[in-house]
Amino acid sequence: MDVLGEMMTSVLAATSIDESVVSYLKSTAFSHFVVNTPWVWPLAETLHFLGLALLFGAIGPLDLRLLGFMKHLPVSAFRALVPWAVAGFSLNLVTGLVFLIATPDQYMSNISWWLKALFLVIAGLNVLLFELTQRDKADALPLGSGTPAVLKVIGSVSLVSWFMVLVWGRMLAFLGNAF
Amino acid sequence: MIITMHTFGLAVLVGASTAVDLRVLGVGRQLPISSLSGFFMVMWAGFWLNAFTGVLLFAADPRTTVLFTIKLLSVAVAVGLILVIRRALANGPTTVTPAARTYAVISLLMWVIATTTGRLMAYL
Repeated sequence: MDVLGEMMTSVLAATSIDESVVSYLKSTAFSHFVVNTPWVWPLAETLHFLGLALLFGAIGPLDLRLLGFMKHLPVSAFRALVPWAVAGFSLNLVTGLVFLIATPDQYMSNISWWLKALFLVIAGLNVLLFELTQRDKADALPLGSGTPAVLKVIGSVSLVSWFMVLVWGRMLAFLGNAF
Repeated sequence: MIITMHTFGLAVLVGASTAVDLRVLGVGRQLPISSLSGFFMVMWAGFWLNAFTGVLLFAADPRTTVLFTIKLLSVAVAVGLILVIRRALANGPTTVTPAARTYAVISLLMWVIATTTGRLMAYL
């Protein structure tokens, strides 16, 4: 915990420039609405959890296929679920922004949030890497053969980084004081 | 840590079950029905993780509220439907029966109720 405390202090120092952004966001009518309307926060949290289930359920099978499981099925079949992953992610981006705009200080000052953001960036770059350079090659893989190392790496990075996004999202409430 | 694992189990169980429900409802027809057995294995892994962590969470805070009761009932129905849907698909039909579609819709609804009531337990 000492190490985490020091990290939090240094992150805070590095982000003190955000103070004006934080106070601006907290002063908005939207922030007051979210904080002062009892049902908004629980509703957004519930949607955030449904979104994460959708994202994991749609992207997990594809990641496992890239790792070489279920190789008797074409990769393109698993990519049919990707729009549902995008839907889950979009839902979570919107509800996540609701949380962030409403109470920016409880995230900006929380090491968990910065770690969550870090893994979100890693997961996002990994998606870009796949979509831009590997998608067509993955679709063209012959059935029954193993997947190349680059796809195994992409599948692993995806599984681990989305898992870490979930873990640090959940830890927000325990390392800091987020609700 | 336990609650984090409970959330991860939710993602695995509800995620995999939702994926199968969507397939039954016509999403991703390139995925043969007969190829979904891996999804069911993943679901059971998520289920046992959440049954275990759920018992620990309940032991730490044993309050049987209305929300908790609704959550347990909806989980029970949803888990029962996993078995029913698996059986409905077991013969590897090329076309999904209307009954299986109905089960899939109810399954999705039960997961929404279970997740909603579970999350609301933290606020109400």
